[in-house]
Amino acid sequence: MWETVAQAVINGLLIGGIYALVSIGVTLIFGVVKIVNFAQGEFVMIGMYISFFLANQFGIDPLLSLFVSMPVLFVVGVLIQHFLIRRVLGPNDMPQIFLTFALSLLLLNLALMLFTANYRTVHTSYSDEALHVGGLYIPVAKLIAFVVAMALSGALWVFLHTTDLGKAMRAAAQNRDVAMLMGINPDRVFCVALGIALALAGAAGSLLMPFYSAYPFVGQVFVLMAFVAVVLGTLGNVIGALVASLMMGVAESLGIQYVGADSGLIVVFAMLLLTLAFKPSGLGGGRAR
Amino acid sequence: MTSLGLSTRTIVLLSVGIAILIALPLVVKSSFAIEIFIRILLFSFIGTAWNLMGGYAKQLSLGHAAYFGLGAYTSTILQIDFNISPWIGMIAGGLVAVLASLPIGWLCFRLRGPYFTIATIATAQALMLIFLKFRDLAWGAEGTTIPNLGSAPLMMQFETKASYYYVVLGLLVLALAITWLIERSWVGNYLVAIGEDEDAAEAIGVDAPRMKRDIYMISAFLTALAGTFYTQYIYFIDPATAFSFSISIEAALVSIVGGIGTLWGPVIGTILLETTSTLLQSWLGSSIGGVQLTVYSLILMAVILWRPTGLMGMIDEARHRFVSRKPVQA
Repeated sequence: MWETVAQAVINGLLIGGIYALVSIGVTLIFGVVKIVNFAQGEFVMIGMYISFFLANQFGIDPLLSLFVSMPVLFVVGVLIQHFLIRRVLGPNDMPQIFLTFALSLLLLNLALMLFTANYRTVHTSYSDEALHVGGLYIPVAKLIAFVVAMALSGALWVFLHTTDLGKAMRAAAQNRDVAMLMGINPDRVFCVALGIALALAGAAGSLLMPFYSAYPFVGQVFVLMAFVAVVLGTLGNVIGALVASLMMGVAESLGIQYVGADSGLIVVFAMLLLTLAFKPSGLGGGRAR
Repeated sequence: MTSLGLSTRTIVLLSVGIAILIALPLVVKSSFAIEIFIRILLFSFIGTAWNLMGGYAKQLSLGHAAYFGLGAYTSTILQIDFNISPWIGMIAGGLVAVLASLPIGWLCFRLRGPYFTIATIATAQALMLIFLKFRDLAWGAEGTTIPNLGSAPLMMQFETKASYYYVVLGLLVLALAITWLIERSWVGNYLVAIGEDEDAAEAIGVDAPRMKRDIYMISAFLTALAGTFYTQYIYFIDPATAFSFSISIEAALVSIVGGIGTLWGPVIGTILLETTSTLLQSWLGSSIGGVQLTVYSLILMAVILWRPTGLMGMIDEARHRFVSRKPVQA
């Protein structure tokens, strides 16, 4: 009995690490630039296709292609902030919401045109390996993904708290006007925030590739999860998003175990609606940190 | 000036326009063309319903498929299980949508801006999942066909496409009339005030939560009518069509491209988008998935970056420049 529960919790935590990379990106952009990036899931999708093609054409291990997908998506993020998002920042919600929403539609449908709706998988030597610890089953690929995801999240936390640029980003998130008065260049900070957020999405894509199929709609699963985790973890709060993502992963996994195989999404929506009903400011409460 | 405050010129233009629309199916005999007209009228109608809340009050919902689906399912269940005419089912569907908009609104209006949008997406998706999962409720994932009774106007079934055309034309006229009445009353002003700055509107005494709730009910009611019409028109219903995310997207898209918060914006936006989509399909064939939405999203991005007021904004500018020779108001 406890083994089934423990197994479900472990499965949830492992996939929750990937959700965390996506949510941290969403919450970072929301905290610093004050917009919601509806296209965040599509960048996970792009990260997956980058890893898929590198593995397929050059036989590069998806985990190594992390060193390609992250820098590529960092640059894409900077370009998107500089050429698109910068132009719609202002008091008006409509252009901000629908610009990134249009970007999401565009990338998704371009992928559909270029790559078709077929599922693409990469088989690695460790794709089928698993550790057996006290009756529990831990797939190696998922464990690696989780560990790398946590390491990247930790690295981001260190960056935000110890470097000048990281502190500038936190300052811009807390109070943009005061930060500007202190000499922080908001354009530069915003570009870096977008770059980091997209690099994290790209990392999520590469980490997923050894055990998950790439297809044009794959990002939708992750972005939905991220939006809920970001509300649950209090908007703009990086640690909140991390903890909430792990919780979401566990909740989804328990739902699959005890309610039914396709009930994962129902659990997610139920969590979102319950959060909205009882704790709209998120579990962290108060201000974004 | 007449009692409604319309100028003679407007009345003449409107009469001519309505006469042309009524005559259109009598002149155009191609059923392919009529099908396209029906699509344009249908999405103009859905867009107009969305625009009431999304355009004037700037509550940017991407979950209107929830009401489209509720309308479609209510009338279909009443028709198949209880043999009640879809004309009555349509109104019943509208009322179900109004009731559903109360708890959904209560939840979603707790959030503002983009997070309101996300919450509306989630509610529509949750409703789709409910209809997928609970097979006892309504046929589960495979859906059902509507029994074809041949020519049965009382059951909203017609032999010619032209009859459907007139039904949806009537719906669009109704929605435009409601929008027109709201736009020129204090309600419209209050909604625009909420859309501009909700806190400021509340500070000067606008009851924002009540206004948002009421306009959401009207918008949901109208969207549900479209759901019933569409199901009767295609003789089929399943959760994936009835609660399709693309309905929610297109409702918002046609309004934004045409001109958000304007009376004619959704109509003009639909004419542009549907015509583009038809031309693309005849040019490329429907073989490549994703072409239509790729083009839609490019048009949407172009509008947002260069003309946030949409096509109506461009038309107004052109009119100011060429007709009245007055400087353009920014």
